[in-house]
Amino acid sequence: MSVSPAAGSEPILTGDGPAPATLPPEQRGSARHDVRLLVSGAHGHRHARFLDLPAVLTQGDLLVVNDSATIPASLPANGPLGRFRLNLSTCYAERLWLAEPRRSHAEPGPLPIVAGSVCLVGTARPVRVRFVAPHPGLPRLWFVASERSLTPTVAADGEPIHYAYLQHPQPLTAYQSLFARLPGSAEMPSAARPFTEAVLVALRERGVEVATVTLHAGVSSLELEPAEPSGVVLYGEPFEVSARAAAQVNATRQAGGRVIAVGTTVVRALETAWASGGVHAMRGFTRRYVHPADVRGAVDGLLTGFHEPASTHLALLTAVAGGDLVREAYREALDRRYLWHEFGDSHLLLPGRPRRAA
Amino acid sequence: MRHLLVIDGVPDPSRPRPVAVVTGASRGLGLTLARLLAGAGYELVLTARGGAELERAAGELAGDGPVHTVVGDVTDPQHRATVARTVGSRLDLLVHNASALGPSPLPALADVAPGDLRAVLETNVVAPLELTQALLPALRRARGLLVAVSSDAAHGGYPGWGVYGSSKAALELLTLTLAAESEEIAAVIVDPGDMRTLMHQQAFPGEDIGNRPLPEATLPFWAWLLGQRREDVDGRRFEAQAKAWTLAPTRDTA
Repeated sequence: MSVSPAAGSEPILTGDGPAPATLPPEQRGSARHDVRLLVSGAHGHRHARFLDLPAVLTQGDLLVVNDSATIPASLPANGPLGRFRLNLSTCYAERLWLAEPRRSHAEPGPLPIVAGSVCLVGTARPVRVRFVAPHPGLPRLWFVASERSLTPTVAADGEPIHYAYLQHPQPLTAYQSLFARLPGSAEMPSAARPFTEAVLVALRERGVEVATVTLHAGVSSLELEPAEPSGVVLYGEPFEVSARAAAQVNATRQAGGRVIAVGTTVVRALETAWASGGVHAMRGFTRRYVHPADVRGAVDGLLTGFHEPASTHLALLTAVAGGDLVREAYREALDRRYLWHEFGDSHLLLPGRPRRAA
Repeated sequence: MRHLLVIDGVPDPSRPRPVAVVTGASRGLGLTLARLLAGAGYELVLTARGGAELERAAGELAGDGPVHTVVGDVTDPQHRATVARTVGSRLDLLVHNASALGPSPLPALADVAPGDLRAVLETNVVAPLELTQALLPALRRARGLLVAVSSDAAHGGYPGWGVYGSSKAALELLTLTLAAESEEIAAVIVDPGDMRTLMHQQAFPGEDIGNRPLPEATLPFWAWLLGQRREDVDGRRFEAQAKAWTLAPTRDTA
């Protein structure tokens, strides 16, 4: 494995590939908060447990979490091309979705779909769905229009989207974080998965506040990643930064505390809502690609997982923490066999760089 | 509090199939939008000056709803009356997309003939207002959405773009005023951004515009717009190729 388009000429990952978490920690004999935590900062890299997170942070820090809940977005479908799965990504309107058709959970296809073709989605009461047009620049994703709402089909026939590295399919509850409140993510915003009540209590005692934003994450299949970093096209994702969350972020910054995003989705929401020295309350769809050449500095740190060394993901990490720190951290994580993917270990990046002038 | 997009596979008298008018629909941005609306279940009334091109465009649309074509020039009152007759009593979406660029290559204002300015204003300002007036009862009945396709030239003061830009500036103000004057309809301005279209080529004759995105680049924006409650977007101006499309938040206060 050798991938690192985003962070400069030196590869971020070389040698053996990462070790994927093939099961959630609860099924590996431990609690959610027992996953490992790599803390990367100016001090170097420290190896901890997620339960140690409150001790790593200081009074006045603000954790910003995503309250989007995961939906069982993978639907059985049948059409002229045979049986396949329609993985819903993003809801645009009641009967208009962006979706990724796949042969199966594991087999990506692509399926030879033509605009205008129709399929039936769901089993008990199938819904007629038309492939309207592919997403510009992302030919695997299609705008699909359904004859009636797909919400009942999602409830009746949907499964969580998963990929080949899982040992066996997991129930929807495995894909919800403690903060999940508003259903809408096709794939779990997984950075907050290790949080437990015990961690929250310890954070409160430590004087670390928690703010909540919403961003409904779309599909993140690897086949969507561009071959070239210059070919990055991002589809829009619904987000909302409330007035309360914006006020918490701005007050934290003014008081000299650190704003730490829990997950790349939160970075994307806050970077989108950033204007003239502060975060503003807003909602909408964001297509913002956060990378080193386009970052506004809305966050001081990032708590995330270890993911495929995909260019868009690493570009965001590099934008927040700098290429050197990310490169070192990923080397460290590979050497120490940290576990990858949504059920894996955690990574806290605290670059400690000087704050940008407001 | 309903979504604008209503796709009906089965007849439902309480939710009739939505109807949309797109002017200048035979190619470019208008055709791209017509494809989305047809696929999403709209009944369409499409207009363009070129009959053969419009019929070909309408013939390739894939959808369940009827597609009506009305050939003619938006500046022609008889054409507008035919459009209104074709629409009937309800109109959910009116897209003023047809536009005139003016002379090509784009002249400096010092060299613009008075007739050129008048012709562009007729097509880009007077005709959309008069078509709106003709369709307003149907638009009101459906509590519909009016979309005016504009341009950054409306604000730019770019050399050579004075005729076209001033017409779009006037169209934008008409649209904002319509939004403010009518409770029953919503009106938005959309700047689609630079695109590889015939009009863009006419603005840059002889230049290679191959680096501009195709009109399909605006599809995600239109899909998003169709899903918004009309009262949330009323009176707003959006850039279809922007990195975000944003509205005021719905939830709590600080």
